[in-house]
Amino acid sequence: MKQAVSILSLFFVLTIYAQDTTNTYKKRVLESAEVDFLTSYYSQDGSNAAVSGGKGTEELTDFTPTIVVAVPLNDDDILTVDVGISAYTSASSSNVDPFDGDGEADPFVASSGASASDVWVNGVIGYSHSSDSRNDIVGGKISISSEYDYFSVGFGGSYSKLFNEKNTEVSVNANVYLDTWKIIYPIELRPIEAIGLEPLNEKNRNSYSLGFSFSQILSKKLQGLLSFDLVQQEGLLSTPFHRVYFSDKPDLFAENFQLADDIERLPENRFKTALGGRLNYYINEIVVIRTYYRYYFDDWGIASHTASIEVPIKLGDKFTIYPSYRYYDQTAADYFNAYNEALSTDEFYTSDYDLSEFSANQFGFGITYTDIFTKLKVWRMGLKSVDLKFNQYERDSGLKFSLISGGVKFVMD
Amino acid sequence: MKKILALCFISLFFTSCVVVKEYEKVNLNDPDMALSDKGVKRFETNAHAYREAASGANGGKTGGGCGCN
Repeated sequence: MKQAVSILSLFFVLTIYAQDTTNTYKKRVLESAEVDFLTSYYSQDGSNAAVSGGKGTEELTDFTPTIVVAVPLNDDDILTVDVGISAYTSASSSNVDPFDGDGEADPFVASSGASASDVWVNGVIGYSHSSDSRNDIVGGKISISSEYDYFSVGFGGSYSKLFNEKNTEVSVNANVYLDTWKIIYPIELRPIEAIGLEPLNEKNRNSYSLGFSFSQILSKKLQGLLSFDLVQQEGLLSTPFHRVYFSDKPDLFAENFQLADDIERLPENRFKTALGGRLNYYINEIVVIRTYYRYYFDDWGIASHTASIEVPIKLGDKFTIYPSYRYYDQTAADYFNAYNEALSTDEFYTSDYDLSEFSANQFGFGITYTDIFTKLKVWRMGLKSVDLKFNQYERDSGLKFSLISGGVKFVMD
Repeated sequence: MKKILALCFISLFFTSCVVVKEYEKVNLNDPDMALSDKGVKRFETNAHAYREAASGANGGKTGGGCGCN
């Protein structure tokens, strides 16, 4: 792996020396301020909840209003502010305490307690500067996000270099996230020391990522991109309220709910590698083909393939439809055990089916309305585009979700 | 070694000698030819980051900032 990183780094350094020194007319990077109103509604169901040790309802809904404002500070600089919330209700997380509802505790029935819903709040401020030639772009960002049991602060920077008459672009980016958990154990394991289990001593989760990308125009109708991400994560990488049931211990129930033998235990380090590629082909003025592939692997034993295709089809000069398909598969983490199959003698174990072996298919359909002349005015803003998209996702292990996303883009006069 | 060779091959493939001039980029400048995702795609990318073990190399989060994998 170190060799691969060295080769990519060398390639990056060598290619940026092939500078394009052509002087061109200096156009503003962003002509006027843009405002994006984005939102989505997510609905999920399944029967392998990690909160109840791999057996129980995974019903979850999530509503995410978001606003993104991009403001040109001058000809070269752009300030971006991105603020959003994610308001969710989760039958699964409600069963951190399954006994605080009105009915009998049951892993397939949502409890009505405090953990049944939460709001995740996120804010990102970004800044970018383009050189006079528009061949060098430097960017930076800081972010903060918070929910009841999780707080995160992040910062990052990026540098992009265009050359070869803007036919080639190489970029490098680095990001750091410093996250903190508020430790919440399943109700029957509190206080965890009194049960005789080892408490979690680490509350922090730090993530360090380094990414490279390389894009190239291959012909008048074809362009592609390669990207390579390396991520090191340290600290508390398990979720404190995920239950685990041991096959070598007796099963204990209260009402219809099986009491935890332990919480999920996972290593405090994880190294992820992702290599992705995009290839977009312009067939004609009506149809474009957009393809994507990614290979991922990490040192927890997971390897995965992702492939997707989207075929935008223009219906006149204002509407475009977007049928799409995505395939995904992954192998299981070394520490994954199905419901009630973990061994108490192991050091690490989880029954989170997001870390199990599975494949998934996703079908999508979107439609976009675009008005390049922004004729429709709202206050001082002109409507530029409206996006609406629906996705249906199904795993071979039973989990499925539906996602409706929408976005409206305005341009300030 | 195979992976390194594959990376070199792909890199060479992409550094083709073709130079498309600015005035020839009308098709490439079509919004649907962009190599980045639309803003509305972020919700889909986030859902995958939560429900799947893999992340990165797609313009989305690579880890951190959420309680996801």
